[in-house]
Amino acid sequence: MLKIIGRKTSSNVQKVLWACAEMGVKFERQDAGMQFGVTNTPEYIAMNPNKLVPTIIDDGFVLWESNSIVRYLAQKHGMGTLCPTDLKVRASAERWMDWQLSTMGSAFSPMFHGLVRTPPDKRDPQAIEKSRANAETKFEIMDSYLGKTKFLGGDLFSFGDIPLGIYAYRWYAFEGIKRKDLKNLKRWYDDLCKRPGFKEHVMIGLG
Amino acid sequence: MLKILGRKTSSNVQKVLWVADEIGLKYERTDIGGPFGGNDKPDYLKLNPNGKVPTIIEDDGWVMWESNAITRYLAARHAPGTLYPNDLRQRASAERWMDWQSNTVSPQMVMVFRGLVRTPPEKRDPKTIAAGRDGLSKLMAIMDRHLADNAYMAGPQFTVGDIPLGIAAWRWYAMPIEREDYPNLKRWSDALAKRKPYQTHIMQPLE
Repeated sequence: MLKIIGRKTSSNVQKVLWACAEMGVKFERQDAGMQFGVTNTPEYIAMNPNKLVPTIIDDGFVLWESNSIVRYLAQKHGMGTLCPTDLKVRASAERWMDWQLSTMGSAFSPMFHGLVRTPPDKRDPQAIEKSRANAETKFEIMDSYLGKTKFLGGDLFSFGDIPLGIYAYRWYAFEGIKRKDLKNLKRWYDDLCKRPGFKEHVMIGLG
Repeated sequence: MLKILGRKTSSNVQKVLWVADEIGLKYERTDIGGPFGGNDKPDYLKLNPNGKVPTIIEDDGWVMWESNAITRYLAARHAPGTLYPNDLRQRASAERWMDWQSNTVSPQMVMVFRGLVRTPPEKRDPKTIAAGRDGLSKLMAIMDRHLADNAYMAGPQFTVGDIPLGIAAWRWYAMPIEREDYPNLKRWSDALAKRKPYQTHIMQPLE
């Protein structure tokens, strides 16, 4: 059975769990990272030299990098659904996965770490606000795009929605932050909230 | 004919130029970004809301951005089985190293490259440059260990997985910095240096 190593509160682990749920792929998960440790052991580093989660083991094949894992599993189990068969549609979906890595992740991360993983007395409000404003400009880019398409890869849900769907959950789950009213983004997010895999693995609070 | 928008000194544009030449694709390139500007103009932002390069436009008007996703698309379209491996595991391995360039190598590289190449000497921050170099060296060490068992990043053959990191390796060796001895990285880099597209597009003075 597919083995997924990583704590379920990690957005990068959640990508893989959600993708598996969408495709009905059975897996066993082992906690690792943060309070669970494991990622600094020589055995783990031999599999994943970055000491990050997730890592998967699929019948002896070890793979890390969450977006690449999602694409791998989708090509194996979800051709025509999670992984679009048309190359242009697929590239468009993959583009938004890459954009989460290159652009949204670094914009969003200081706000998330500040609000969720830092005690209130140690927070840097200026850094959090700067990150919030920066992330908001990225959500505006998504909103504008989602004014033209139903999902990020086109008319149908695909792996292109997975990484950024997790960021959207977190964006809407923060309490007391300023948020522009982005109608297309909200419509898309509300659609994702109807999916059982999203409910089970992503809508689990911020931790 | 394929249009590639972006200045040729951008590492992200270089990925696309390199893969296009590996395939033997004809294209026309337009200078945009950096000293050429144009990337913040409304016409460009309509194509690419990030205001970054590269963007490509195909004959049918299809527009695509995000350099790694473009690189995979062109390889999947024109070079399946060679640049874009057919074996799903090998393909996933290649994609993993592309993702890793984007989210892990790039932030460290930027600290050194911007500091040494795009900042006048009197405005450089030696601490940031040194921290970036140390971080980058640890990542080159991860590649070196991987390349001890693999001729190329995704196994025995050259693939799309070598392209983003091949550009990073050129910069690592071309920047005026202290460098540890990484023999496997060097062997791989020397193999890339024999490729005509690499000579044409990557082995150029740093700007």
